[in-house]
Amino acid sequence: MQEFILEFEQVDYNYPNTKNKALNGLTLKIPTGKKCALIGQNGCGKTTFFLLCNGLYQRNSGRILWKKRPIDYNRKSLIQLRQKVGLIFQDPEQQLVASTVEEDISYGLCNLGLPETEIKARVEQALVEFGLTELAQRPVHHMSLGQKKRVSIADVMVLQPELLLLDEPTAYLDKLHTHNLMTTLKKIHSSGTTILMASHDLDLVYRWADWVFVMGDGRLLLEGKPAEIFNQREIIEELRLEIPLIHEIVSTLELIDEKAVLQKLKQQISNQFQF
Amino acid sequence: MKIQIDTVAYTNRLRWLPPEHKLTFATTLFLITFVSHPTVQILIAVWMSIWIVVYAGISAKVYLKLLYVALLFWLTSLFALAFNIVASDSVANIQNDALAGLTIGFFHIYISFNGILQGLSILTRALASLSCLYFVMLTIPFSELLEVLRRIGLPELLCEILLLMYRFIFVLLNTASQLWTAQQARFGYRTFNTSIKSLGLLVGQLFKRTLENYRQVSLSVESRGFNGQFRVWHPYRYRPSKRYTVEAIIGSTILLGLELLNHARIYTRV
Repeated sequence: MQEFILEFEQVDYNYPNTKNKALNGLTLKIPTGKKCALIGQNGCGKTTFFLLCNGLYQRNSGRILWKKRPIDYNRKSLIQLRQKVGLIFQDPEQQLVASTVEEDISYGLCNLGLPETEIKARVEQALVEFGLTELAQRPVHHMSLGQKKRVSIADVMVLQPELLLLDEPTAYLDKLHTHNLMTTLKKIHSSGTTILMASHDLDLVYRWADWVFVMGDGRLLLEGKPAEIFNQREIIEELRLEIPLIHEIVSTLELIDEKAVLQKLKQQISNQFQF
Repeated sequence: MKIQIDTVAYTNRLRWLPPEHKLTFATTLFLITFVSHPTVQILIAVWMSIWIVVYAGISAKVYLKLLYVALLFWLTSLFALAFNIVASDSVANIQNDALAGLTIGFFHIYISFNGILQGLSILTRALASLSCLYFVMLTIPFSELLEVLRRIGLPELLCEILLLMYRFIFVLLNTASQLWTAQQARFGYRTFNTSIKSLGLLVGQLFKRTLENYRQVSLSVESRGFNGQFRVWHPYRYRPSKRYTVEAIIGSTILLGLELLNHARIYTRV
């Protein structure tokens, strides 16, 4: 039976002094050990959802369960929760606080009050794992955005979280860096970490995820395997999300009649490429 | 300029020397500067410049540019020191001091010999202490300097504030330059009037973005388990150098000796 690492049940949240609910009865269960993706338009509540997962905001109503136990909001439980749920913000600039790379990676470990030898060992391991050894002593403001992103992931992974949340990790990254990022995520996942990534890049989601959540207006609209999700053409198009080209091709190829297949394929590819 | 200094501090050839050695060295020379005579001060300035340009391998251009900026301040104060004004009936009192003079109505403006001497002694002192200061600025990265200060007992709170300021001054500069470029691209600084308007917008926007940034940063710090104290771990991997230590100690001793000799000569003359 599938277990869930983090569950939201009918969670409401609205920002102080606003009428619109950012989350509106959200019920979402993150399956343990999967590569999950969260899609939806800007302003659909993705970021708010992440901040709630990390206990940075408190829900107005509903329940949030970490491994079947409701999360507490006292200091001690919050620190424990935040160690197990790693959150990587969209803009690495806001996440890096110390002045050099190794110092920044050590920050979370120092907060946990670990002994110095362990901090040293874990920082050095993280530097090797994320290919940051050469940058270790570099000041944060001398690095490129791709490098900063890598540091921000190392910052969180050094705490060995069980669930990793990424808020649009590929925003601002070029093809090469996106590719490197995905390789890193693959490694993280294979070491046993559950990953949930919010993204606007649907091709990427289709190629990478094994479970997809679709959010809209602070609610969960759909969930399922990528192929199942993108088969629900009407809903996806209603949300103004595009269906990945690969999915179009693959699902078309599944039709039986060969001639008709080719004809349809041509039609669809040309449709996709015209703006 | 600020960013250039920072880059140099992280890439210079003396980076691996323990920062406390460098700091002690510079402080010692700095103190000697305060009690010494112009000749010793000039020697300090020259010696320090050798450390900066030759040993640390910092380009002479960057170093001279920094000196030049500081000397501009000296030039402005030289003007005030060299020119004096007295009432025109007391010209006789300053006969010995005046190199040249001009009487305008009730006033007599003259160039003072003592004033120029004073200006020159300020120059040597300024050059010597500046070179010590630049040695610290250019060879010790700020975060390492901070760590030394923390170790010798600067209050924790101050260290944290300095560390965060240092990190975020670059974010602020970056934001400001992005805004400025965006405004330039749309002719924001074409005439004086639009410049003033654009500058106002820029300052307002910067303030707003600072607040926004603050909110985001406090969220992310919180999510990384902030517990009221800002601590990071510093690996200690410096290598003390015998050669440099010996040169620093011998050089400082010679300078002190010269200074004492100078004093002794004055006393024997009296």
